[in-house]
Amino acid sequence: MAVVCQPSTRDAPCLHCSLPVPAGRLSRFCCAGCEVVHDAIAAHGLDQFYALRETAAPAHTTDHGYIELDDPAFHELHVRRLPGGQACTSFYLEDLRCGACVWLVERAPRCVPGVTAIRVDLGRSRADVTWDPQVTSLAAIARHLDRVGHPPHPYRGLEREALRRREDRALLIKLGVAGAAAGNLMLLAAALYAGMFGGMSLADTGFFRWASMCVAVPALGFAATPMFRTAIGALRAGRLHLDLPLSIGIVAGLVWGTANVLRGVGEIYFDSLAMLVFLLLVARWIVLRHQRRASTAAELLLSLTPSRAHRLDGGRAIDVPIEAIVPGDVVRVLAGEVVPVDGELIAGSSAFDLGLLTGESRPIDVGPGARAHAGTLNLAAAIEIRATAVGEATRVGKLVAGIAAMSAKAPIERLVDRVAGWFVVVVSSVAALTLLGWSVTSVALGAERAMAVLIVTCPCALALATPLAVSVALGRAARRGVLIKGADALERLATPGTLFVDKTGTLTAGKLAVVSWRGDLDAARLAAAAEAGSSHPIARALRAYAEPWGVATDVREELGRGIRAMVDGRAVLVGAPPWVRQRSRAQPTIEGWITELAERGETPIAIACDGVMIAVAGLADPIRPDAAAALHALDQLGWTVHLLSGDDVRVVHRVGAELDVPRARCHGAMSPEGKVAAVTAAREHGPVVMVGDGVNDAAAMAAASAGIAVSGAAEIAIEAADVYLRSPAIGEVVAIAAGAQATLATIRRNLRFSLAYNIVAGALAVTGVIHPLIAAVVMPLSSLTVLASSLRSRAFRS
Amino acid sequence: MTILYLVLPLALVFAGGAVAAFVWAVRSGQLDDVDTPPRRILFEDERVEPPR
Repeated sequence: MAVVCQPSTRDAPCLHCSLPVPAGRLSRFCCAGCEVVHDAIAAHGLDQFYALRETAAPAHTTDHGYIELDDPAFHELHVRRLPGGQACTSFYLEDLRCGACVWLVERAPRCVPGVTAIRVDLGRSRADVTWDPQVTSLAAIARHLDRVGHPPHPYRGLEREALRRREDRALLIKLGVAGAAAGNLMLLAAALYAGMFGGMSLADTGFFRWASMCVAVPALGFAATPMFRTAIGALRAGRLHLDLPLSIGIVAGLVWGTANVLRGVGEIYFDSLAMLVFLLLVARWIVLRHQRRASTAAELLLSLTPSRAHRLDGGRAIDVPIEAIVPGDVVRVLAGEVVPVDGELIAGSSAFDLGLLTGESRPIDVGPGARAHAGTLNLAAAIEIRATAVGEATRVGKLVAGIAAMSAKAPIERLVDRVAGWFVVVVSSVAALTLLGWSVTSVALGAERAMAVLIVTCPCALALATPLAVSVALGRAARRGVLIKGADALERLATPGTLFVDKTGTLTAGKLAVVSWRGDLDAARLAAAAEAGSSHPIARALRAYAEPWGVATDVREELGRGIRAMVDGRAVLVGAPPWVRQRSRAQPTIEGWITELAERGETPIAIACDGVMIAVAGLADPIRPDAAAALHALDQLGWTVHLLSGDDVRVVHRVGAELDVPRARCHGAMSPEGKVAAVTAAREHGPVVMVGDGVNDAAAMAAASAGIAVSGAAEIAIEAADVYLRSPAIGEVVAIAAGAQATLATIRRNLRFSLAYNIVAGALAVTGVIHPLIAAVVMPLSSLTVLASSLRSRAFRS
Repeated sequence: MTILYLVLPLALVFAGGAVAAFVWAVRSGQLDDVDTPPRRILFEDERVEPPR
């Protein structure tokens, strides 16, 4: 039961969710759900929750029993045994938002006897539960968490997370070492600079220089390994990478500095180098954190897909984890649930929504003997399916396996790497010319000046230009509900090219609705009354269109054809035109309307009363209100928009006409393979972005330069996409495209700033007026300029 | 200024100790989650019955 709180005009807010209490409700709560949650919290003496919370959004609970969590198959997969008989598992919790949520969840040991401890990780929406299986069951713990408003889901990404944790820790240690080295080297350098003006004995100066070297060489040698590694890797692969000039600068600085310390003369640049390495690692760490947040949020969405099925054992349905189903088992699928296996329908009849699988927006009526595929949505009634394939053997599973192979995208050549290529060439030739030029005077002087050029032009600000701009954009986008998984996705999205948009669920609502009506309007109310008891999608659309008028009796539903009922003494027929035509008198006007609607790509539904056809309803998947404006804005930004749909060509043409997309750019009846082919063909002419939501779009998303999945997308589509939209608004795609362009503009501005600094510093080095003190001031100053410029970025500013 | 020859290495040893402590903290997972602990310190302690 999802708690929906109706807004109203009364002043006193709901005690639990702070939304207004509907007028006429004699309670301090807006709805029964809030009252249940409040009572559950109060019953355990956890009222402090209301003092700690920072937001007061409606709580979300389900009345699910979670018995599948006690199944041995689930324990096998997700539960670790601890010494002393305790057991331990991890959950993803929904709606973890603030300190109050953490507090409420972590008080579970007080409420559920047998729970030893719960630790919450707010950033990852994760809770580690330790309990005594002798005293309580996992299902009881899950029910408690659900009752306090945080429905739990099995945490499936433990291995992936262990890998990430190792990476994060390694980077953090390098960051700490570089920071400590930078701080101490600056203190030593300050003493040296002071000594330069105040007079310092040669022995003392030498001692400080030796101390600097002892700190700098091991610390930077260790902390800068990630850059060295990327530089060597890029060199081997024959590509240019920004880490190459960085590594040259760092190594030149360390080697030359060490040589000068040993010789006892010449400049050292250890302090500037340490600061540079530290700043670079900080920037990398910030970007990594933003990316981790986006991927955690996407994974939480993945874990929301059903992990349980209702298996029939001797006529009784029990909830088991999906992993426990084997071919031959019979599962029950209730209305509104997703079919968990491939199989054959053996009992019941219903309608399937194949939207996520094929992109077809019209529901398909099915009866016993029909094939059912995992991933389809069961719309109308409970059915029973005998499983023939499970897990990876299903049609969806195979599709998923194919996409995983395609998703590994070749790294694009980033703007900054192109600049870095030129940079290496220019700096090394300038250094060589300096060496030659000054060698006329003295070779030692030439070497000194050439080394100074290499060191002071080490492109610190250049290396910060991209990560700072990108992390500002990623952070702001996440606050708007746009999750961007990788930093380079922004650069892929910045150059306008071809944009393919899936129709069903992206440009349209993904649900049937009455979009046109021909004939008597009162007939709509009769039809709604006749369909009052049906959960077929067509019945829902008719009920949403008109208020029922009268009460239907003697209702008989013929699946796939229509419904007949007596409404206030009138015989009403609602259904497919051929079926209604057989049972009533035809009328030429009505026939004309039926053809007209069918030609426009709508599904005609005929309504007859007392043996006469009186009206026709045109059903279609309505276009989202913001779609036209969004496509227009994308056109303005320079994108060529194409519609790509698995739906009927006529339907796609109708949608295209309404959205001002030329017919040549509306592609209907596309198979998943056809979509991939279209994307691959377009990639030869420039960048391609695929926007979609279904399994049938996922492969195309993986093949495109960037994929965007919209809210409510299928699991595999979220995996394959680079960007995920939390809100169903197609307008956010415009925000992404504009934000990506603004981010690239910021990166360009940053690059110009940092190159200007490098030209000045390089010129000073060539002429020999550079001094380590100037380098120590210029380097941080250039980085600060880049930071300020990044924060001023227009990207994703709302 | 001879004291520098003692104080400077000593200071670097302290700095090394701080870095070692940081490395230990990272390795033992204390910096894995930087979002939750700053909120957790705001919670009231559970009331414990005084022992008789």
